[in-house]
Amino acid sequence: MRTFFVAAINFYQKWISPSFPARCKYYPSCSSYAASAISNYGMRGVGMSLWRLVRCNPWSHGGVDYAVKPLNLNVKTIEKTTVGVN
Amino acid sequence: MGAILNPLYNLVSGVIILFHKLFTPVFGKDSGVTWSLSIVGLVILIRIILIPLFVKQIKSQRALTALQPQMKAIQAKYKDDRQKQSEEMMKLYKEHKTNPLASCFPIIAQAPIFFALFTVLNGIAAKNDQGISAPIARGFLKGEYLDSAAQATFFGAKISQSFLGSTDTTVKIVTVILIFIMSATTFTTQRQLMVKGMPKMDSSNNMMLQQQKIMLYLFPLIFAISGVNFPVGVLIYWSTTNFWTWGQQFYVIKRNPTPGSPAYEELQKKLARKRKEENRNQSGTVIDPTNPELGQNGQEGDVKGQRKQPKKTKKR
Repeated sequence: MRTFFVAAINFYQKWISPSFPARCKYYPSCSSYAASAISNYGMRGVGMSLWRLVRCNPWSHGGVDYAVKPLNLNVKTIEKTTVGVN
Repeated sequence: MGAILNPLYNLVSGVIILFHKLFTPVFGKDSGVTWSLSIVGLVILIRIILIPLFVKQIKSQRALTALQPQMKAIQAKYKDDRQKQSEEMMKLYKEHKTNPLASCFPIIAQAPIFFALFTVLNGIAAKNDQGISAPIARGFLKGEYLDSAAQATFFGAKISQSFLGSTDTTVKIVTVILIFIMSATTFTTQRQLMVKGMPKMDSSNNMMLQQQKIMLYLFPLIFAISGVNFPVGVLIYWSTTNFWTWGQQFYVIKRNPTPGSPAYEELQKKLARKRKEENRNQSGTVIDPTNPELGQNGQEGDVKGQRKQPKKTKKR
């Protein structure tokens, strides 16, 4: 089941998504988020992905949001960018 | 499920009936034109409701110009690390509470409407076990409206019939033409965006070519596969919404192009030319009331300059 979902998402990413302009407010995009959430958490990942799609709406400000938090971060995730601050 | 779907059926059929009442005095109650225009009306209403979202997105795109230096700094710092670059960019947007991206909402929001229209129209064309037509009333489309809609035609094809569900040659021809229009409008819209609306990419010419090939072949294929199952009415809806998207995008690319895109450069050139003309007119000859020809020219220049002044400052 997981492989089926992930394969469908991969198909979408490879064939359908590139012909439209980038539109996701988050990084990683909703489809990458869904792929990693489902392959890591199964059915719970499906729920997470749906919730992510709901959060990615015209009134949200987006941001960086991983389904699986990167492990090698020994520092607390920095929410703000540090580049270009005077 | 009915609790979610019934309000949708009511909404879609209600809007269609309202437009039907509006057009009845013009084209007649049972005319196919009335029913077709009612579906077009539904599209236009939905797209008008979605306009504020669109304006919001354009506004946040404009706000981005202020962040340009920081965006450049991020691009320079992480030029070898696409992931980090995207991450930092998103953080920047979030920090300044402005996000130029549209999200999938405008597309997803239309899906339930589309599905409801599909079901309502399929209900009209429903048959019983003996193959005799037995329309199913959904939402407000019932009674005499249901009978009238069941007979309504679009260029001779019943709006509730689909390519696969009908043996009528006219239906087949009309659906094929509509599927062709759907593919063509999608293709033109995307091509317009790629050629004019997107920032020039330095190394990905290859990718762009590939993308264009994908949409050249994939979309007609997808539309052909799905379109043969859709009633003519749904195909009318789809074609109309495609035309709207195309027009909307045309307007944005012309008036508010993405920085770095060919359309943006065109606009900048146009503005620069106008500014030059204004300067020439302003620094030009003093209006001589005794010379009618010169005076006219001077005046024209002045009026032109005054009219364009606010436009110029707005674009910055």
